[in-house]
Amino acid sequence: MNTEDFLNDLVEELELDNVELNIDFDLRDLDEWDSMAVMIVIGYVSDNFDCNLTGEDLKEVSTVKSLIEIIGNEKFL
Amino acid sequence: MGVLIKQIEYVYPSIKVTNDDLQKEFKDYNFKKFETRIGIKNRYVASKEETALSLAVKAVDKLFSNKKIKKSDIDFLIYCTQSPEYFLPTSACVIQNKCGLPTKIGAFDINLGCSGYTYGLSLAKDVLNGNSIKNVLLVTSETYSKYINKLDRTNRSLFGDAATASLISHSEESDSKEFLFGTDGAGADSLIVKNGCAFPVDLNPKNKTYGSGNVYNDNNLYMDGPGIFNFTTSHIPEFYKNILDENKMSVKNINQVFFHQANKFMLNTLRRKIKVDSDKFYINLQEGGNTVSCTIPIAIKQFFEKNNIIKKQTLLLLGFGVGLSWCGGIIDVEF
Repeated sequence: MNTEDFLNDLVEELELDNVELNIDFDLRDLDEWDSMAVMIVIGYVSDNFDCNLTGEDLKEVSTVKSLIEIIGNEKFL
Repeated sequence: MGVLIKQIEYVYPSIKVTNDDLQKEFKDYNFKKFETRIGIKNRYVASKEETALSLAVKAVDKLFSNKKIKKSDIDFLIYCTQSPEYFLPTSACVIQNKCGLPTKIGAFDINLGCSGYTYGLSLAKDVLNGNSIKNVLLVTSETYSKYINKLDRTNRSLFGDAATASLISHSEESDSKEFLFGTDGAGADSLIVKNGCAFPVDLNPKNKTYGSGNVYNDNNLYMDGPGIFNFTTSHIPEFYKNILDENKMSVKNINQVFFHQANKFMLNTLRRKIKVDSDKFYINLQEGGNTVSCTIPIAIKQFFEKNNIIKKQTLLLLGFGVGLSWCGGIIDVEF
């Protein structure tokens, strides 16, 4: 997947208003970053990357870049 | 020869908790977003005086109030709960007496959560196929609200209390269909109340937090939501296919698919994975929330009532959750 598409999808999935996401953005700074958001990301990644993340994996996530690394850099253009 | 679900009734306890009520307690959280995403508007919780057993008795009384079957025609009672009235005796025995069911019946409890209704149906099917038994009463009742910490916003939002009663009977017109099971106790800690059984209730419990500031202690219900979600999305789609394969059926032969109504988001994720159209996959937990072993019978009843269905329906049912435990199968329903 194109990184830009991934960023747009995250904004849409997490229903982020007035947030400019980039790969260095720390997701933990979002008000919306709660257990529902974690579930949404697990669902989104599972739908689009054929990859099942765990809650433990998501605990390790800080920036968007770190999320991309967990999903697998090779899956991004 | 097969079995048929011939009646379902359900009751909610007396206290209604709306999203507006919760918004007043948890000011920083967006319950509008919660309602859209998770699909829950209201849930009901038991008062101090209400117990899972008292709700179960109400649901059974409601079923007999239709006068479609006499109490004397019941041969067996299966009661599914994780909120038993006592350590002993078996709650099902107390229900037999309180509901005035005959003393000739067999009765036992099963301790299962979200997989409990489908497990109960499978057991009912085996009891019905085994001997001279003709009518089984399957009762589910749950009061998780009594285990949830007042400051645990997530679990208070998701879970509701309820009780259901179903009549399962022999049917000449229905074929016998199979149920399948799954168990993984390695996930036992994912959804657990630690104290109160082998380990006594802690009188000075140490509060802990999880997720976004939810408070709980070891006397309370704890749920690792993302963990359960991950288990579900990775195991349940294949299990669903196995149920169809085992019964040599395709989704075309099924009138409606009912999964445990855990939350709307999870259900939609699963639906996309199993590639079933939304009009064939029931999602509605707006009114009562996640009522554990009660969600599937409540959903079936609502589906029949809302669509005024009178013809026999072949349904695929699948429950999953605490244990970890999962069970699903195919069964006919005609009220």
